[in-house]
Amino acid sequence: MSGFLDSIRCGECDCSVDWAEKRNTVASIAAGILFFTGWWIIIDAAVMYPSNTLFNHTYHVCGVIATVAFLMINAVSNGQVRGDSYSEGCMGQTGARIWLFIGFMLAFGSLIASMWILFGVFVVHRKCDTVYPGIAIFFQNAFIFFG
Amino acid sequence: MAGIKALISLSFGGAVGLMFLMLGCALPVYDEYWPLFVLFFYVLSPIPYCVSRRVTDDTDATSNACKELAVFLTTGIVVSAFGLPIIFARVHVIAWGACALVLTGNIVIFATILGFFLVFGSNDDFSWQQW
Repeated sequence: MSGFLDSIRCGECDCSVDWAEKRNTVASIAAGILFFTGWWIIIDAAVMYPSNTLFNHTYHVCGVIATVAFLMINAVSNGQVRGDSYSEGCMGQTGARIWLFIGFMLAFGSLIASMWILFGVFVVHRKCDTVYPGIAIFFQNAFIFFG
Repeated sequence: MAGIKALISLSFGGAVGLMFLMLGCALPVYDEYWPLFVLFFYVLSPIPYCVSRRVTDDTDATSNACKELAVFLTTGIVVSAFGLPIIFARVHVIAWGACALVLTGNIVIFATILGFFLVFGSNDDFSWQQW
């Protein structure tokens, strides 16, 4: 009987977790869904068009760089950029800012490259209309760092 | 104790989910065993969360970052387990009916795993057993 009450108490403990923690978890879940959906859509486009004529497979570079940028941005916490964390890290606050700057540059660069590919291929050739969703999902690759 | 009923219902859920997966592969109408690759994702899905539970044993802000990374990776694995049958069906490696059965099995299995962690993973005895 006391074990039964204990499990009820644990259920109530979960509901009283503070809102900030839940917001982080929800944001991680949303970011995970967007990021992996993006990758699965480009995998789908690559599988549907295995030849290089309709879907040039070098376009994957766009997504790879966006992923690298995503990892770079998420590796740096806000505290390190503001300068109020315990450990300086190997580069310090300026290094953290430069790292974040390069990360955002790569992310925006891959976003712009994906839009260029979309318009350059879709508008000019008009025969492979799966490039549109495949490249458009790179938008989501870039948007997830907001999560 | 209350754990036995939960354990039985969770194992029933797991069996039903695996049944859907096997139906999607083994029915003579379909007869393709490619969807069994999602078993790989089923096995992988609890691992990030378990690793983060073991590695972080304090409650300050840094432990939340590890937990969030584990949640992110777990979500990715779940999305991959849904994406793989859809891609198989789009390339006509398996039929859409088999894909639907596998996705139903996915939902049941992941609900079972989630239920397992909610019921058994959230009490302190779990972490004491590590020592």
